[in-house]
Amino acid sequence: MTNLKPRIEFKHVAKEFFLQDDKTFKELIPSLIAGKAWAKKHIVFNDLSFTVKTGESIGIVGDNGAGKSTIMKLIAGVTYPTTGSIKAVGKIAPLIELGAGFHYELSGYENIFLNAAILGMHKSEIDIVLQDIIDFSEITEFLHTPIKRYSTGMLMRLAFSIAIHAPADIYLIDEVLAVGDRKFQKKCLKRLKEFKNHKDKIIVFISHSQKDVKEFCDRAILLDNGKMVLDGTPADVFEKYNSL
Amino acid sequence: MRLIKKLILPFTSHKYLLYQLTQREIKARYKQSFIGYAWVMLNPLAQMMVYTFVFSVVFRFPTGGIPYPVFLFAALLPWTTLQVTLNTATQSLVSNAILLKKVWFPREIIPYSVVISKMIDFVFSSFVFFGLMLFYQVPLSKTTLLFIPLFLIQVVLMTGMSFFLSTFNLFYRDIQYLTNLLLMVWMYMTPVVYPMSLVPDRFIFIYKLNPMVGLIEGYRAALFSLPFEPSLIFQSLFVSIFIFITGYFTFKKSEKVFADIV
Repeated sequence: MTNLKPRIEFKHVAKEFFLQDDKTFKELIPSLIAGKAWAKKHIVFNDLSFTVKTGESIGIVGDNGAGKSTIMKLIAGVTYPTTGSIKAVGKIAPLIELGAGFHYELSGYENIFLNAAILGMHKSEIDIVLQDIIDFSEITEFLHTPIKRYSTGMLMRLAFSIAIHAPADIYLIDEVLAVGDRKFQKKCLKRLKEFKNHKDKIIVFISHSQKDVKEFCDRAILLDNGKMVLDGTPADVFEKYNSL
Repeated sequence: MRLIKKLILPFTSHKYLLYQLTQREIKARYKQSFIGYAWVMLNPLAQMMVYTFVFSVVFRFPTGGIPYPVFLFAALLPWTTLQVTLNTATQSLVSNAILLKKVWFPREIIPYSVVISKMIDFVFSSFVFFGLMLFYQVPLSKTTLLFIPLFLIQVVLMTGMSFFLSTFNLFYRDIQYLTNLLLMVWMYMTPVVYPMSLVPDRFIFIYKLNPMVGLIEGYRAALFSLPFEPSLIFQSLFVSIFIFITGYFTFKKSEKVFADIV
């Protein structure tokens, strides 16, 4: 792991997408003849600046389409800002959507290695936390069953367990707690709170659940119409959000 | 220096991911169906029987004394590898869309894992070929080993084309159908089912521009101790390297928008 203190810095970040309407030639050719551009521009946000320091857990609040997930993608480094700059210091572990990076024909055990490798772990790193992952996910008796026979809850538990055992400095948690039973959700929040108490990591949290954000984050950002409306305590942010 | 570091990244810091994705590609295949991995050998075997009937019983192509099934298989196996690799690689980025949107890793690992897993399939399916050589009592010679460097040229070519096809397919899904069409035409433009000696002299210059011609002829020369045509093989090598380099840079340049357009 890096000795650098994890840190996220957005400086005047603007992000535009090209929305491509035509995914096949059948649609593309008529629209080229009609003189339409191959894609439309869509502005997600135009001037976004904020800094997240070591030990902070920050919630991102806003309507669907406000750019919450785009922020996650920018931090993860899978997409790039149109203008402005982003610095993310530290190893990043995104909690990947349920089952992405899983192969349904493979067993839970095999999928632990596959998914952990996708999160950037090496064999030796996985071996260290393997037992913890299995215990945390509570799937021990189905460990060697192909995951196509798993329930949604089991898949979610497995995915979550792998991600939070990845040795990272920055954790990106996008709406994943929505699935799974209440008991497991509590267990996850407890685990995340342990991270938080260590004060050496950053947790970025997206959730529609006011309760989770208030309970878990000590700071929140409110996005609306491509702008950051407020950067403050979760209580203030939700008060503003509800009045929008 | 930085370029070299970037170029070998998938084999250094991300080698475990490459290993896992390759393994997924192979395991998925044999876990999905009843006979599973045997398909790797059954497919070319069935094709061989059909082609043998058509081109040695019906048409009777001259093969210079080599039994037609062996003559065909020497080309059909590497060709099938090319076909399967390009078809799978074309769809590889699209089928890993969710990963592209969530996690950072060197994107070329995805097409690489396809190429490597198909190379492994190739090794297994070539056991059938050696069985066939034994059955027809075709002697192996020292030049047989030259098959390996020739196949490596094909790997470079396949990887380069995979860069282009997987990227383009992300923008327009029609590319996967186009790939199928291209492969069908390309196969008949390559001496896979027939000997190159049947190609009329006035076409031969254009015909030889196809990089697979030199490779397929090279495979046969290596396996049946026939004379090599080195200039043709070098031409295939240069074309393959050219496609690899241009493909790599196209891929790396487009990589930045993969997550936005997928």
